[in-house]
Amino acid sequence: MSNMDTRAPFQHSGKNIAQLMQTLLLALLPGICASLWFFGYGILLNILIAGFFALAAETTMLRLRGKNIALHLADRSALVCAALFAIGIPPGAPWWLVALGIIFAIVVAKHLYGGLGQNPFNPAMCGYAMLLLAFPLQMTSWHLPNEVVEGALSVDSLGIPIAGAEQEILSPLSWRGFKQALLLSFPFAASSDFDMKAFTDGLAMATPLIEFKMAGHSALLAARDSGASLFSRESETAWEVINIGYLFGGLLLLYKRIISWHIPVAIIATVLVVSALFYAPGSVSIYGTPYLHLFGSATMIGAFFIATDPVSAATTRPGKIVYGIIIGLSIYSIRVWGSYLDSIAFAVLFGNFCAPALDQFCRPRIFGQGLSRANNESTKP
Amino acid sequence: MLGVGTSLSTRRTAGGIKPPTHKEHSLRSRIMPMPIPPQLKIPVGATKSGTITLCIAAGDHVHKYQKLAQLQMSAQGRSCIPVHAPTSGIVSAIEEAYVADHSQQKQVCIVLTTDGLDTSLPLEPAVDYRQLASEELVTAIRRAGIVGMGGAGFPAADKIDSAAHQAVDLLIINAAECEPYISADEALIRERAEGVVTGAAILQRASSARRCVIAIESSKPDAIQALEQAIEAQTNIAENCELILVASKYPAGSEKQLIQSVAGIEIPSGQLPARHGVLVHNAGTSYAAFQAVAQGKPCISRITTLSGQALKTPKNFEALIGCSVEFLFDICGIDKSLRAKTVLGGSLMGLQLPSDNAAVSKTTNCLIAAGSAELAPPAETQACIRCGFCADACPVRLLPQQLLAFSKTENNSQLLEHGLMDCIECGACDYVCPSHIPLVSIYQDSKAAIEAGRTNHERSEAWQQRFQYHQYRIKKEKDQAPTRTKAAPANKPAAESGESGESVSSNGDGQEFFSKEKASREIAAAVARVKARRAESKSVASEQDKPK
Repeated sequence: MSNMDTRAPFQHSGKNIAQLMQTLLLALLPGICASLWFFGYGILLNILIAGFFALAAETTMLRLRGKNIALHLADRSALVCAALFAIGIPPGAPWWLVALGIIFAIVVAKHLYGGLGQNPFNPAMCGYAMLLLAFPLQMTSWHLPNEVVEGALSVDSLGIPIAGAEQEILSPLSWRGFKQALLLSFPFAASSDFDMKAFTDGLAMATPLIEFKMAGHSALLAARDSGASLFSRESETAWEVINIGYLFGGLLLLYKRIISWHIPVAIIATVLVVSALFYAPGSVSIYGTPYLHLFGSATMIGAFFIATDPVSAATTRPGKIVYGIIIGLSIYSIRVWGSYLDSIAFAVLFGNFCAPALDQFCRPRIFGQGLSRANNESTKP
Repeated sequence: MLGVGTSLSTRRTAGGIKPPTHKEHSLRSRIMPMPIPPQLKIPVGATKSGTITLCIAAGDHVHKYQKLAQLQMSAQGRSCIPVHAPTSGIVSAIEEAYVADHSQQKQVCIVLTTDGLDTSLPLEPAVDYRQLASEELVTAIRRAGIVGMGGAGFPAADKIDSAAHQAVDLLIINAAECEPYISADEALIRERAEGVVTGAAILQRASSARRCVIAIESSKPDAIQALEQAIEAQTNIAENCELILVASKYPAGSEKQLIQSVAGIEIPSGQLPARHGVLVHNAGTSYAAFQAVAQGKPCISRITTLSGQALKTPKNFEALIGCSVEFLFDICGIDKSLRAKTVLGGSLMGLQLPSDNAAVSKTTNCLIAAGSAELAPPAETQACIRCGFCADACPVRLLPQQLLAFSKTENNSQLLEHGLMDCIECGACDYVCPSHIPLVSIYQDSKAAIEAGRTNHERSEAWQQRFQYHQYRIKKEKDQAPTRTKAAPANKPAAESGESGESVSSNGDGQEFFSKEKASREIAAAVARVKARRAESKSVASEQDKPK
């Protein structure tokens, strides 16, 4: 064991974990930018808050565990965890919600299991699921852009509606939008007599899938039929663009060979097939179109970024495919028949449960092993 | 454009990596014939591996090509490997020394102080190999002391013999040479393709193979062209010798992987290719066979690549067997201040040499004087994140990430279940690992631990049996005195009556008669006892086997 350094191989590809993580962060950018365009600064604030607390928690835990802090912080895995966690949190969520989730993710789901590479469950999704169970209201209130701006304009700093201001439409990327996002993230900064509840209630809105689940299929389809353009910041198109952003990032990961195609393809194909099977056009069922399932929610980010977390996923090729199918089925089932609105976190965690068994039972055939006798004989001249 | 009889293998093999090859440096110049060094240490073999018979003594003057010694391998089915003098001179000593090969142990070497005259024995007359029977060719190859030049060092004649009772369908000349840095075979083929091709024909005839294929990586256009020309030039060879290009990836040249990509045959784990009618010989071996048969020269030199950033002029040498590594490095203009380490073999399966004093052997294919920037020690190891890059790179379709976890917990049954023993230690997993985990070293240690555990287990098993038998015997002997009568009711009364008879007639007549009868009874009882004991020990042994 002592002479590891003097033993072959001596050549290395030069790849390292930090590079992988950095590319992963880079691949998240298109989707994050799309979210920024539609939801304003809230998502950015979430990422920053999560990143800050992730690094703080990681440093603390590394110190407590007596690890080399500089070496392990440099692998950027905490930042990736923070980013994956934060993009699932509704913009406008209060800072403590984000902090609580990411601290749970890093401390409990990651380090208490032995740190990087040892966690059986995806830390980001553990944090997310914990929040979803503990704070269901905050976790499902997405603040849609028009509402953000209009809602904010309609009240002054004292919460009194301002007459005539409704007509003014501002971008969520404006200075005003920024101030609003800050106020939502850090409610303690508001003046004491500010009616926070009225303010946030005015902004709350659901994701298209939630809307769909609650109101049947008509509302969304009607909005789509009315010709809402992709970049008009309509609530119906936001998720489409965001999902396309994440799909683009996912393709980058595939191209860079950071992830293999098995898990994303299995998930997307499963969701597509199952939702197509159950979808009956024109019926008043709640099943939703395959398109809605793929692009109306977090399917893309789940398939490319979250389910592919190598540590907690199945690691064999056949195992990855089964793992993807399990997650795809769970995503659809939880959405359609379950009581939770979006289902990526639970589906991925369920996949994590199955992963060790998949690794054990779905193994590729080793070269030269398991050849049938007949096959053996036929190779002889 | 591919020439006549050349085809590109379209069969995909699992895994593989494409590291930078670094071969271009040593291929810039032609193969350099070697100046005669003042001293040669010609390795004969390790004392452990067989019986060494010396043909000379210290102080003798020897000529070039003279047989010096031979190693009679102790392993079953292996013949002797003779060694010959690479040049003329005086044998100054016979001593143990380090050799530049993978054995990592001292070997008996014949120290030859050269006289610079290079006077040689008359060579055996060159013969047309087509006139010789396969047994004669094998004998000639054996007498020339040819071993596998790719690095394995298995006697070439024995390899042919191992397939003698089989119908050999396919002979593959392995010219893939996929490992970075090594360019010896490529240089050899570029300059002496006719020899390699003729050697292939000789090996084919020697092993009575139906077909012969020369396999080379598609990324070596010069060598491919040379081979095509050589094959076309020799019409008798062109008929049954084919050139197949395999995909340029590491480890394309690994024996079983090469067989798969050339012939589509997957050799089962733990079996020799010969069992499936396939023989693989290295291109260097093929050339040595050509020299032995067509030129009558024994194996006294080989092509060795010298490379690395610490060398001013990396190149390929026709190195005399027994010259020191240091001598070769000096000719290449080594800057020792630049050198960080010396590696024997390629960068992925090589071996770090502790000193330059080692002697070049018949398997020394490459020597790298690595600068500090190249082949740098690995960065600090991080945790495995199970990214699976290793599994994608593994040519045997193992799951290195799982093997690592099982190695850490010393879970030997799972290690075996996951095919640890099928690992060919090619190092592809190490190469791609983003956490810089020394996977191959860990597997080697695990393999060694499992082997050690097996021998320990066997030993303790044997001792346990002996102990149990001992216990059994003591118990039996204790029991036997009082229960002999009960155990053998048929014998018992007779014995007792005999006993009483003895006491009665002790002073009566017929001492003779009594003793005879007693003796025969005792013999019968002893036979019965032994039978019973055997039956019981068998059942004990089978019970011991059961729990496993």
